[in-house]
Formats: sequence, C-alpha cells, structure tokens
Amino acid sequence: MSFLEIDRVSLRFAGLLAVDEVSLRIEQGEMVGLIGPNGSGKTTLLNIITGNYAPDAGEVRLQGRRIDGLRPNRIARLGIARMFQLTRLFRRLSTLDNLITAGCAVGLGYHEAQARADALIEELGLGEVRDEDGANLSGGQQKLLEFGCMFMGDPRLAVLDEPFAAIHPSMREIMVRIIKDRHAKGQTFLIVSHDIPAVIDLRPRLVVMNAGSVIADGNFERVLNDPEVIEAYLGGAAA
Amino acid sequence: MLTLEAILLGLIMGVFYGLMAFGLTLIFGILKVVYFAHGESFMIGAFTYSLLALWLGVPLWLAIPSAIVVGGVVGVIVERLLIRPLYEKFGDWQAMRDEYAIIVTFGLSLFLVNLANQVFGPYPFRGPDLTDVARFEFGPLIVGGHRLAAAVLGGAVLIGAYLFIQHSFGGKQIRAVAQNRFGASIAGIDTRMVSMLVFALAGGLAALSGALLAPLFHASPDVGVLPALKSFVIVVLGGMGSPIGSLVGGLILGVLESLGALYISYTYRDTYAFAILILVLLLRPQGLFGERAREV
Amino acid sequence: MSGSRLRTRNEFLASLLFLALVALLPIWVTSTYWQGLFVVSMYFALLAVAWNLLAGYTGQFSLAPTAFAMIGAYTTGLLAHHFGLSPLIGIPAAIVVSAVVGMGLGRVVFRLRGPYLALTTLAFAEILRHVVRNAHQITRGEFGLRVPALFDHHLAYYYLFLALLLAVQTGLYLMLRSPAGLYLQAIRDDETAAASRGVNVIVWKTVAFTISGAICGIAGALYVHFAEIASPQIGHIFETGLVLASVVIGGMGTMIGPVVGAFLVEITSEQFRAIGLNHMLFFAFMVIVIVRFFREGLWGLSMLALRPWLAQPARKRRPLGAGGS
Repeated sequence: MSFLEIDRVSLRFAGLLAVDEVSLRIEQGEMVGLIGPNGSGKTTLLNIITGNYAPDAGEVRLQGRRIDGLRPNRIARLGIARMFQLTRLFRRLSTLDNLITAGCAVGLGYHEAQARADALIEELGLGEVRDEDGANLSGGQQKLLEFGCMFMGDPRLAVLDEPFAAIHPSMREIMVRIIKDRHAKGQTFLIVSHDIPAVIDLRPRLVVMNAGSVIADGNFERVLNDPEVIEAYLGGAAA
Repeated sequence: MLTLEAILLGLIMGVFYGLMAFGLTLIFGILKVVYFAHGESFMIGAFTYSLLALWLGVPLWLAIPSAIVVGGVVGVIVERLLIRPLYEKFGDWQAMRDEYAIIVTFGLSLFLVNLANQVFGPYPFRGPDLTDVARFEFGPLIVGGHRLAAAVLGGAVLIGAYLFIQHSFGGKQIRAVAQNRFGASIAGIDTRMVSMLVFALAGGLAALSGALLAPLFHASPDVGVLPALKSFVIVVLGGMGSPIGSLVGGLILGVLESLGALYISYTYRDTYAFAILILVLLLRPQGLFGERAREV
Repeated sequence: MSGSRLRTRNEFLASLLFLALVALLPIWVTSTYWQGLFVVSMYFALLAVAWNLLAGYTGQFSLAPTAFAMIGAYTTGLLAHHFGLSPLIGIPAAIVVSAVVGMGLGRVVFRLRGPYLALTTLAFAEILRHVVRNAHQITRGEFGLRVPALFDHHLAYYYLFLALLLAVQTGLYLMLRSPAGLYLQAIRDDETAAASRGVNVIVWKTVAFTISGAICGIAGALYVHFAEIASPQIGHIFETGLVLASVVIGGMGTMIGPVVGAFLVEITSEQFRAIGLNHMLFFAFMVIVIVRFFREGLWGLSMLALRPWLAQPARKRRPLGAGGS
C-alpha cells in the first residue's frame, strides 16, 4: 500500500476528457514533479486529489483510506495541504491572521497557531508585513504567504500548483530552500510546474502528462530524454 | 373550460413578464450580477404612460412609445453613473463586485420608489385602456379587450427584440460581450456602448410592460417591485443570460401562477413565483438551462 | 497585536464608548418621544449588527433580516394572543424559533453565492410576509396583533434594549477574536481557499445564519412588546432597506458602523418625517453615494481622517494594477 494511490481516475467536463484513467502511486517522503503542456490535465488531477473535484470514475486513496469525493476541508484535515495556481488568500485578514486561520482550521489551538505563524513569518521573510492586510502585500509576498499557510499544520502531503510562476527570484529561493529543508525532514511533495529548471533543482521523480494521460514516469534525467516527452512539449523545455 | 381560460390568461401575463425578464437576462449576461432596480423601469413606464394620457391628453399611439423612450433613457443614465464601476475595476470594490451590485442597485430601487412617492404621492393612477372593446370572445373563452390588445402589442415587440438580439449586428455585439467582455473589446467592440445599449433596451422593454399593464395594475411608486421579483424568478428559471430562456420562462411562470390562483389559492397567488424560485435554486442552482459546476 | 485584530478591538471599544453615551442620554433627554426613538434605533442597531455579522463578516448577502425579526415578533405575539403565554415564555421561544429557522435557511442555501443567495433570501422573506399578511384568522393580517407590554415605564425598555445590544456586541467581539471569527472572515474573503485550508464552510455559514437569525428574532420580539403591536410591516422589504442603509452608511464589516449607522438613520428619518420629507429618499441616495465612493462608510472615513493620530494601520487603497488581484 502506497502513501497516496490514484487508481484509474477519470474526469470529463461536458465533452472534454480532462483526466483519462490516470493511475499514480506516491510513496511517503517522495518529491514528485508533475509536468506537461497546457491542457494536459495536471491541475485537474490536483483538484481531484484535494477534493475540489470529484472524479467520474476511479478512486483516490490516502494510506489505504478512500478520499475521492470528500469535501476539500475534510481532505485538508486529513493532512493534504495545497497551493493554488492563482494565489488565493484572505485579503482583509493580516498576514499573521491568514496563517493562524490555516493553523486553527487543521486543529491547532490559537496560541500554538500564533507561535508557529510567527516562526513561519520569520522563515518566509515576511516580518515586515506581519500586520498588513493580505490585500496590501505584493504579488510575490502573497504567493509566499499562501505557500507558508500549507505548512501550518505539518501536512502529510504538500501539493503545489505552479509555485514558481510569476515570482521574484529571491522569493523563489526562499521557497526552494524551505521545500528542500522540509523534504529532507521527510515531507512528501507533489509539485505541478511549467518551470522545468526550477523543478529539476529539486531532483524529483518526474511524472509527465499529456492530453489527460500519464506518458512518462520516473527519474527526471531519464524522463527528460524520453522522445515521447520531448515531442509532447513540441521542442519545449528539455534541458 | 376554466382551466383553458386560466392558461390563456397565464400566457397573456407571461408576455408581460417576458418583456421584463428579457431585458433583465441581457443585463445579467453582460454584467454577471443582478440588477435590483429593474422594477423601477416598469414603474417609470407605467407612470409615463398614465400621466401623459391622463394629464396631457396625449394620444395612446404616442404615449406608449414615449414610455418606452423614457424607460430607455433612464436605463442609459443609470448605466453611465452607477454601473460603469462594475466592469471598470473601480478602487476598493474590485474584489467585491457582487456586494457592490446588490447594494447599489437595491439602493437605487429604494431611491426611485421613494422619489416617485415624493413627486407623485402614493396614490395609484389608472392609465387608459388600449382599446374600447370590453372583451373578445373566442368560442367559449372570454378575454378582456385591453389585455388581449396589450398582449399582442407586447408580444410583437418582444419577438422583435429577440430577432434583434439573434440576427442584428448590435445583437451579435451584445452576445459577444456577454460571452467574453475582454475578448470582445480586443475584437474591436465598444463594450461601453454595448452596455448602454443593453440598459436602454432593458429599460425600454420593462417600461413598455409597465405601460401596457398600467390600466390593470395602476401606476403607483412601488408597482414595479412585484413584477421585478417575478422577473428575477424567470431569469433564474430560464438560465441567467439566456434570452430564449427568459421568453419561455415568462410564459411558464404566467401559466403556473394562473393555474395556481385557480386551483390552489387566489389569495396567495403572488407567493407561487417565490416558492418556485426557492425550489429551483435549491434543486438546480444553475437554472433550467444553465451549466452545472463540478464542485464537491 | 495584528492589524485586523487591533482594528476590531478599537472598533469594539469605540462602540462601548458610544453605548455608554447612550446609557447616559436619559439624564438630559427626558421626553418619552425621544427616548422611544432611541429604543427604535436600538432595535435597528440589533438588526444591523446581525446583518453585518452575516454579510459584513461572513460575506453572505441575505435580504431576510427583517423576516427573522418578524418571526421572533409573531412567535411571542401569537403565543401571547392565542395561548395567553407570558413574554417570559414568549421571548425565549422567539429566540429558539428564529434560531432554528436561521439554521434551516443556512443549511439549505449554503451552495448559493452572491445574487442567487440574495434572491433566495428575498424570496423567503417575501413568502413569509405574504403568508403573515394573508392568514387573517391567525395573525389578524394588516390590522396587526395586540401584544402585551413588558414594563410600565419607557426607560425600562430603554435599558433592556441597551443591555441586549451590549451583550450582543460583546459576544460578537469575543467570537471575532476566536478562531470562529477568523473562519467567518475567511469564508467572506475566499470560500474556496477557506475550504482548502480546512475550514468547514457549511458548518460555519450555518452558524452565522443561526446567530444572525436569533439576534434578529429577539430584537423583533422585544420590539413588539415595546410597541405593543405586531404587524407584517416589520418584514417589509423597505425595512430591510433601512437595515442595509444603517450598515453601509456606518461602515460595513466593522464593529461600530452598524450601531452608529442605525442611530443615524433612525434619528434622521424621524427628522425628515417631521418636516414632511421622504427619509428613504435621502438614505437611498446616501447609500448609493457611499457605496460608490466611500466603501468603508462613515467610520472608515473618520478613521482615514484621524490616521495621523492613531497607532494602527488603516486599510490602504491598493494602486490599480499593482500586486495580486
């Protein structure tokens, strides 16, 4: 039994088969990169894992327990934290409160959440905007904040959707540093990204999707030299 | 026989509802928010028609178009002053369009109703009938003369409006903006003008409805509130943004109300629309013709 | 202390100050007319606070606050009228009934957003009002239902309402400071994100509806014992308009806006009525202007003006096009 099992999952949107019988196993502590051209179904698959969509067919199991069809908040409480492609946060709550909310929502007590939030703020370099409303943060700071919210509850699986997009290099460094640090401590990661160099830096297992199916899965060096992958990207990013 | 007559009456009312719902659904199509002050266009039409005919002795063939024009003009003014911010990303409200729309249009509705109250007083005016013929008889069915004439006139205009939306260049522009405002503007469509056009059209059609019903409902400051609420129901029933949905929905609601008044209760006839709305929104939030969201 | 928490605390303290002022008013204002006016203001303040909790803090734009006031009003009124039950039973019953209906409504409309929610709650309110108006046998319709008084002296009502308003404000403040308060605001700001972070959106929306309904219910119940008559006018859509106006003018999503707004609206109404001018006209106009230009209402404006002298961060206007959206 793997940590996360995606078992022949399919999802159709009014005529478009977004995810086509995808099966995938992720072990605890793995660093998995999910890449593929636009429209390949990566974000949809993510949404299925985190409960934002329910699959038409197939199952998703977390440590043996079925989680497909559960509400997103249930799944968050079970230990799967996520980041959205277009940053989502609570604009009229302060940075600190954004983090505290995330912490309490997965079961932390208020003061414990506040202590952790302060520590995370230090780690993220957001000390300056600790008391500012989310709306007043810059785009990069907002992304960092959403990133930080994931770790408030010591998630079992962290799911990131395009974390490196549209972000200042210095902030990306902070993110990468934290990801590597947490990964070394045993955190499981699933990262969707278009930014192949940034993902490769994390030395991941690479899963490639195209048109709703998985077309390659394995060590990143081997996968990036796979002719089918190169063709799927149409001369794109093979480093 | 009573049933058949009820159905006929329902269809007639359905035409008037359709006039209101058609404009409202167009507004929703381009704005994606509800316009609460729609009933006041109805009220404006009712007052314009009644007062022009009663106070100024204007002949009916002039009073009706005047009502339409006044309704349209007010619609354009509202669009220009209050609705612009909704799609022009205005300051604080950028992230909260729904709130802004609800409060502003609700406030506008209250404002217009009370303005009419202040200017004309709360007492209803009864505009003149369209025709002197008291009633028409079709075999066993009897219909009031004004009602029939009004329904025929209203129906013709409504069909004309629908054809305009489907086939004319202006209509196509409107549909383009409804589908994708940004894309439409890149394609060269003047989205501001389209918004004004939609509000003018909606205002004019609602005003026509008000004018046609003035002899029956009597022009008073809050005469438009109930028709507006019912047109919301129709727009939701037919799918928000679907012109054909509003036409069909209008007829359906008219008939259901009429049959309900006959067989369930006449006193509570105005509650059926609301009950239907609640039921539909709970069972099928996207309306009868809308799309379903996938979320868990 | 964090920005949003600090703001909430200051708003709460300001509202306490205001209520303290209201408590002292009868020393100078001895006319029963004016005291009665303040009682009505406090009735609207309760509705405004309740609506602000639901709309300003949780983002659920319900158009049914006065419907719940009507539920509370008629629960106690009908119990007294038909069964001779004392208000000591009637008022608690009113709270329970309106809370239960609030819970039911919340549980049933949780999927609806924005205009759909507004329309459904409006439909709910209108059906209720129509039924109350037309069920003559039971409710005496537009003629109204005679309701027994609670006290002999006006001032007793004055301080009862004040005590309730104080209790509600304090309760609300404590809630906003707790995780619950964060969850509600998270739902307002981004429901999807809230769910993804672990907030049980259905439960908390239902909680908001229940509490809001209960507050409106008890306000309505107390009001009819004060006015000694219950009528379907309580639930009229224009009364809802007044509630909305109070909150928007005072400042939506703040702890003090609704309270001050309600007083302003009610007192100004009366002055307009006395001169013969249509007060709703003025308020509707004010609502439109404020919503169009000053989202934070009068409270927000005063905070902006006083900013140089205050130690807290105000809500900045984000320059268009910069940063996240």
